[in-house]
This record gives sequence, structure tokens and C-alpha cells, in this order.
Amino acid sequence: MRKFFNVFNRHNTWLLFALYCAISFLFIKLQNDDALSKAKNGGIEFTALITDKLLSYGYLLNLKQENDRLMQVNTDLLARVINLDAAVTDEKNIRKIVADSTVNASNFIMARVVSRRFSDRENILLIDAGWKKGVRKDMTVLTPQGLVGRVTTVSENYARVMPVIHTDFKVCVVSDTSSSLGVLAWSGGREFIAQMEHVPISSRLKVNEGVLTSDFSTFAVRGIPVGRVVRITPDKLFYTVDVRLAVDFASLSWVLVAPLKTEPEKAMMTSDNSTEIPLP
Amino acid sequence: MATKIPFYLFLLCIVSLLQVFGLSHLTLFEVSPDAISVLLAFIAVTIGQRAGTSFGFAAGIITGLLSGNMGLAMLARTTEGFIAGFFNIPENSHATSKQKTKRMYSALLTASFLANAVFAAGYNPLGLTPLYRIIVLGLLESLLTLVLAFIANRWLMRKTFSD
Repeated sequence: MRKFFNVFNRHNTWLLFALYCAISFLFIKLQNDDALSKAKNGGIEFTALITDKLLSYGYLLNLKQENDRLMQVNTDLLARVINLDAAVTDEKNIRKIVADSTVNASNFIMARVVSRRFSDRENILLIDAGWKKGVRKDMTVLTPQGLVGRVTTVSENYARVMPVIHTDFKVCVVSDTSSSLGVLAWSGGREFIAQMEHVPISSRLKVNEGVLTSDFSTFAVRGIPVGRVVRITPDKLFYTVDVRLAVDFASLSWVLVAPLKTEPEKAMMTSDNSTEIPLP
Repeated sequence: MATKIPFYLFLLCIVSLLQVFGLSHLTLFEVSPDAISVLLAFIAVTIGQRAGTSFGFAAGIITGLLSGNMGLAMLARTTEGFIAGFFNIPENSHATSKQKTKRMYSALLTASFLANAVFAAGYNPLGLTPLYRIIVLGLLESLLTLVLAFIANRWLMRKTFSD
């Protein structure tokens, strides 16, 4: 027995190594055992938990960069959404204009309203079509719904439009049922109500009649819808007529520019300093 | 010596966690430096072969539990501690600091390479040829571990290997 212990003491490292190896082999052999599998699964779960925590701390440390990156992604996506939305709206408006059978849009110039200022100092529309596209001063601007205004200034790619809701704007109009003539003007206030002036008290104008541009207009082609009569107030000699405008200026985005009305002879005859034109 | 064992056990746990959750992610050609090998070599060289073997066995249990390959990890680590123990420096040694350090590096390189060979023989997750796995990657891993030991020696173990 003493001999055995002496041998064991002398070679205990080797025996220890052998014992550990035997245990290790036993573990290898029994690696699919339930108890060992549970221990292994526990270890893997622990490793996964710690790794997950470490990753989350790493994520927290990099949160600012992550936020910046996400903000950039958001900005890009927002820009894309805005562009796509604008394209869809433009497409819809174009289709609406083209599909409208009341307006023959073949000779018309289509333009987008790029700016609109409606204030106590200025009230103009800016459209993205200029002389390059054939837009000229005094051309009529309209939509399928009705008259928008007239072109006042033209540059290469843009044109300024004086809308109907401008105190300097006037256009000769005629009612569609009673054919009552008048001059449409806007005197401020609500942007969807204009006044039809110079309608004699003798006229048979009724509420709810449609109002169109007349042939007397120097710039607008006849028959463009302007609005509908909503109120008639008799005065001494003339009616005061309120017209609800056909065009919604608040949501105006696409317009058509009608070709210039070319009636130089008529213009000459109506002007004060007209000279007699010789008969052919 | 007996008073140092709990400290080394604690250190072993810390280093094992550091290895599994940190250093194992620092890979170069599919291998990473092994801090556990450094600690085992240090224990085996400074304390003795028996301690090295036992600590190797313990390290195998911890890393095996964390990696899910218990038996093989235990076998490889036990072998590592046992092999490193052959380079043990007795307490009454008159070796110079340089000689001790050299012995430590030799123990590490040998033990690490053999442990890697044991592990490679039993487990080949990348399906590499055994020769490439054992010789090329084994040597590369041992060299990376040697670099780690060099860093550890410069900052942590200098006092232990002083004359």
C-alpha cells in the first residue's frame, strides 16, 4: 500500500492528467446526455445573454451615430416621399386638365403655378412658362373650372399672372341664361367672391346664373366660365351682383395659358384715336 | 502558493469571460489570440505542472460551458496546462529574468500549439483540411497568443519574472 502511495506521489501529475483526460473523454462520450445537454444549453444561453447585453451597450455607445444615420435615412425618405407625392399630384392635375372636354387644350400652354403671393402689398401668380414656351403679355390664364387671370409680365421661363382676385383686374362678362352684360371686378375681402358691375336694373339677371367671359373682352376669349351669381342687390340704376368665382385660388396648381386674342382691327376701332380704315 | 489559488481561479473566470466575449471576436484568418493560454502558461510556469493541469481542466470546464463543446475544451485545456508545466521554473531557480521570460514564451508556444492540435483533431467547424487547420492555423494562433503574452508581460507580469 505504501509502495502504491509512493508511486502515486511520484507520478501524481501524470495520474492527475490521466484522470482529467478520462473525465474529458467521458464528457465527450456523454455529450448528448440530458444533464450535459442542459448544462450546455444553459451555458449557451448565458453566452447569448451576455453577448446581447454587450451588443446593446455597444449600441447605446453608438446611439448618437445611429441617430444621425437614421435621421439621414429619414431625410432621404422624406425627400423621396415629397417628390413622389408632388409627381402624383401633378400627374392627377394634368390628367384632369387634359380629360376635360369643355376645354380644347391643344393650343393651350400648360403651366405650373410656382409661386402665389396674396397679401396687402402684392397679389400675383407666377407660372413656369415664359416666352420660350410661347407665353405673351395679355394672354388669358384659365383652368377647366374657369378664368384665372391674365398674363402681365413675361420672362424667358416664367410669367406673372394678375388673377381675377386683384383689385386692378377687370373683364367683360355675360350671364349664360339672361345674357346680362357686366364687368367683373374684385374689390377685396373674401377671395372667392367678386362683383359684377354695371348690370342695369332693367336686366333679368337671376341668382344662380352662370357668368362667362364675353366677346367684348380685349384679352379673354369668350365663353370662359368665371363663376355663378350668388346674390343680387338692387341699387338706384344698377344691380350690385356678387359672383362666386369658379376657380378655387387656394388650391391652384396647374393652369392653361390660352393663345392671344388677335383682333387688331377691333382694338383699333374701339380705341379713341382710331383712324378710318380704307375699304378694300 | 495555496493562498494564490483562489485569486488565480477568480482571474481564470475573468480571463475566460474576456476571451469568450471579447478576444474571440478579434480574428485574423479565422484565428484569434488566446488569453486563457497565456494565463495557463503563466500558472504552469510559475506554480507547477499539477496546478497548470488542474487550472487547465477548470478552464476547460468554463470555456466548454460557454462555448457548448465541453469535453473537447476540457481535454485541450488540460493538455495545455500539462504541457506548459514541463517548462516550470522552480521557486529556488537562479535563472535570470530574461531566461524566465524566454521559458514562459516557450511554454506558451508549445502548449498553445498542442492544445490547438487536440482541439483541431476533434472539432473542425470550417471544414478545413487537418494539416492546414493544425499546422497553419495552429501556428498562427500560437503566434498571435505570443503577441498577447508579450503585451501582458510588458504590462502585467514583469514583476513576477524579475531577477
